[in-house]
Amino acid sequence: MIETHALSKAFGKRAALIDADLTVPRGCAFGFLGHNGAGKTTLIRLLLGLTQPDAGTMRIGGRPVPQERATVLARVGAIVEEPHFHKHLTGRENLRVVAAVRGPAAVARIDRVLARVGLADRANDRVRTYSQGMRQRLGVARCLLADPELLILDEPMNGLDPAGILEFRALIAELVGEGRTVFLSSHLLDEVEKTCHAAAVIDQGRLVAQGPIDELVRVRRPRIEIGCDDPHGALALLDGHPAVANAAETADGLSVTLAGDDGVASINARLVSAGIGVFKLQPVRESLEQKFLEITSRVGEAR
Amino acid sequence: MTLTIARQMFIAELLKLRRQRAVMAVGTFLSVGVVVIFMGYLQLRHASNPAKYGPAGGLEAFKHLLRALGYFFGVLLATLIGAEAGTTDASSGVFRDLVATGRSRLALFFVRVPAAVALTLALSAVAYGLGVLATFAFAGGRPTPSVSLVLQGAGWIALADVAMSTLAVGIGALTGSRAVTLISLVGLQAIVTPLLVNVGSLGAARDVLLNPALGQLVPYGGGLGVAMATGVAVAVVVGWTAIPAAIGAWRTNTRDA
Repeated sequence: MIETHALSKAFGKRAALIDADLTVPRGCAFGFLGHNGAGKTTLIRLLLGLTQPDAGTMRIGGRPVPQERATVLARVGAIVEEPHFHKHLTGRENLRVVAAVRGPAAVARIDRVLARVGLADRANDRVRTYSQGMRQRLGVARCLLADPELLILDEPMNGLDPAGILEFRALIAELVGEGRTVFLSSHLLDEVEKTCHAAAVIDQGRLVAQGPIDELVRVRRPRIEIGCDDPHGALALLDGHPAVANAAETADGLSVTLAGDDGVASINARLVSAGIGVFKLQPVRESLEQKFLEITSRVGEAR
Repeated sequence: MTLTIARQMFIAELLKLRRQRAVMAVGTFLSVGVVVIFMGYLQLRHASNPAKYGPAGGLEAFKHLLRALGYFFGVLLATLIGAEAGTTDASSGVFRDLVATGRSRLALFFVRVPAAVALTLALSAVAYGLGVLATFAFAGGRPTPSVSLVLQGAGWIALADVAMSTLAVGIGALTGSRAVTLISLVGLQAIVTPLLVNVGSLGAARDVLLNPALGQLVPYGGGLGVAMATGVAVAVVVGWTAIPAAIGAWRTNTRDA
């Protein structure tokens, strides 16, 4: 859905984006992760033609931008940074302003999209009176006016309470279920892990990782946690076991790094046959947060 | 862009302006309010002492009305509305969202001009209509303007409104600041221009100012004392309209959203 190649942008002497090669598959929720100032919004602004790249190419839906910008953006809905509105207008009037720019079909969708984001009852109130969560929802409603193939949402969970986040997560799943692509920038790693199928990580203007979430969080060597009644004995027993690359005692057992993808059964058999009671054998899955912290430079510098 | 979309965008621009309560309140005061106060004061004065003060209406009152609406209050009204139209999208942050729809930035700019002009003309028309009505109603035997003069006066005020509101939209888009636009244009028209007009040594250089050019076109011949050919006056007014509009369009097209 989105392809960029060697995309670069500098503001003065500061490089905001450096040779970014990004591929976002169609019909999925795609997370775009990075610290504040890493280059997330710059890439989004480039995609939307809000600023011009210094080098590189971009394609959305297979079409080159900015060359075919008008055609492409007619089916793209976007919230950049935070949704802005004319605060003196009502929610409905704000949608009418943008729908007028998009065309008659968008005008006809106003009531439908207001109902979809749960703002039908407050549509005739001035935006000045809306909470942050309501403004986020109105921003999504504005995106939906385009009946978009692609939604670009920049930090959409900002300011939402837990209930709002749950609703938002469900809405994104619905949108993806309808075949739309949702490109979601965020620094809320847990949310991206729960919401998205794939993600990219940007750090100091460089894309440092991208792919399906499962691949991103896969550990380089599988690890298991073992809960047992004699950790000290178990550690001695596993020393030199061919399936074990490394083992260490923890508070309630052992943490074992495996030499390969299998070997758990033989480790268990070895412990049980030696009379050690095993009550837990649990593979360890790294979280996206751990992975993110590992690959971004800030942690590297801290080390 | 189809005609339907252009019409929708025009209506949406008008909506943004109409719903600005402060702008509408001040705009109504600067047009209708001023005429009502002015004519009401003259009539009260006449009613309280008819021997000393003549009737409020008639031809002279009509000329005062034209001057007030064309040179001063019309300028303030058009500047207020034009500045709002030229800056509201950028100042609210919505400009970015409008650009992200893929619609051309030039279309986004140029739809603001007719919206600002239409609202300015609507308020001016009501004020002018009331003023003309009072001119006839309170004439008290004094000579009244001819229908032709009334129509020419309407055309002249409309010309001044179109020029000034387009100028304000353009400067608003250039600066992105309502306050800067208001201060600079009101300062230009209310302070700088009258000062320069009175500096006789500037000679024909004063021809490039907007108000003297408008004065050359005023229907009763009551200009600002800077003589110029009618063609020159028309060219100056067109210049003051087209050049700021072009600058505003350029800035809208190049501004980082």
